[in-house]
This record gives sequence, structure tokens and C-alpha cells, in this order.
Amino acid sequence: MSFCLETYLQQSDDYEILLSRAGFKDCAKIIEEKSPEIVYVKAGEKILGVRLIGIPPIPIGVDEEKGTIILTYTKPCYGTAAIELPVDSEELDKIKSVAIEK
Amino acid sequence: MKKALILLGCPESPAQTPMAVYAAYKLTDMGYDVTIASNPAAMRLLDVSDPEEQYVNNKIDLESCLENLNEGDYDLLLGFVHKDAAVAFFVTFYHVLNTKSIALIFEKDPSQLEDFEKQVSESTEAQIVSAKAYHNPTPIRVKFDRALEQLED
Repeated sequence: MSFCLETYLQQSDDYEILLSRAGFKDCAKIIEEKSPEIVYVKAGEKILGVRLIGIPPIPIGVDEEKGTIILTYTKPCYGTAAIELPVDSEELDKIKSVAIEK
Repeated sequence: MKKALILLGCPESPAQTPMAVYAAYKLTDMGYDVTIASNPAAMRLLDVSDPEEQYVNNKIDLESCLENLNEGDYDLLLGFVHKDAAVAFFVTFYHVLNTKSIALIFEKDPSQLEDFEKQVSESTEAQIVSAKAYHNPTPIRVKFDRALEQLED
């Protein structure tokens, strides 16, 4: 079964919210500041089972050593959050395969 | 039949629901099959505003709409942009659909209005219809009507 971010955030507690109820630009900035590696993707690209919402190119922070990524998560009434969560190497490869140039 | 998608934001802005009903009415009159995508709270306001679905026939949940959206599904995207998150949603729908698009931007704070206009214009080629508005939908309606006249030309 493929990974689903929405379900994961509801059922797990091993993720960290770095910023919440913020603007997309602020969350993109924190991802770029806090991540050793950045992968950029198109708006609407399916990442971890959901379409990523934002202003392209959308940054995804990658920390291979920790095995985590940081991505933006947007809800209409709550703004955007930057969330760090663990991913396996297979998911990481999938994310890198849809990377675009900044 | 041409298909239009109206994308609603957070229902916090009082002008959103009446403008959504009005836009659905106008676009239907122009021959579009209109669908409104919104979160559940915005949809409940539409349900109460148009109980017999005189104006809004097709309503869809925002997130499931986005998950299943493909390029070419709609001929026109009309996005209501009055919050930072709404900018992000509109730009995302724009890039997935890759179709003719209008951003209806309204805010009471002029600096935020300018910021939303800038973000949309820098990341899309959508037509921008913007007005300083909050409770009173008239400034938005007037500019929206003008944009629709251009659309028909």
C-alpha cells in the first residue's frame, strides 16, 4: 500500500511541526534554511500520496542522515505549515525522481 | 458544453458566498457547466444560500477535487483569493489544469491585497480581478462583470 500523508498525520506522532498557521513563503523559507539538501517540485506534484500545494518551485527539505523530509502542508482556513517527518529511501527516491530545476 | 471550476477559499470572508452564487449564475448563463470546489465549511454556506440548487448544481470537496484533477478537465478556472492559503491553492489548481483562469482577489487590507496580486501574477498568467472589499461584494462584482465581458469577446 502506498504512503498517504493525510492518514499519516492523523495516526502518527513522530513528525515535527516547524511552523504552523503561516504563509507559504515563510514555510518555504524555513525549509530552505533548515535542510541540508533541497529538492524542488512542481505545484500539484503528488508527494507521499497527496498533491503538494503552493507557489512553484515548491521546496522539499531532505535530510538523508536523519531519514526525514520537510514539506509544506496547506489548508484553506489554517494557512500553511512546515512539517518534518520520516520517510524511507524508496519514498525519497520517488521524490527525487520528480525534482525540477529551481 | 464548456466546463468552469470555481475554487473557493476559507469562508471567513463575508463576500465569498454571495459572490460564489453570483459567479455560478453568470457563468451558467454564459453556457458553462459550473462546478464549485470548496472545503466543507464553505460548502455548508452554499447549501443554505441556495437550498434548491437554483444556481449551484455541482459541488465538490476541495481536496478530493485536487487529488483527481487533470489537465483539460475544465475550460475555465475561477479562483477566490482572499488569504495566503487561497493563493497557494489557486496557483496549484492553475498549474495542474493549465487552462484559462481568473483570480478574483479581494481583501480589506491594501498591503495584503497587493501581496496576493503580486504572488498570483508572478506565478501564473491568470487574469487578475482585484478589489479592496470585505463585507460589500459590489466592488468585486462590478470588476468581475467587466472581466466576463472580456471573456466573451
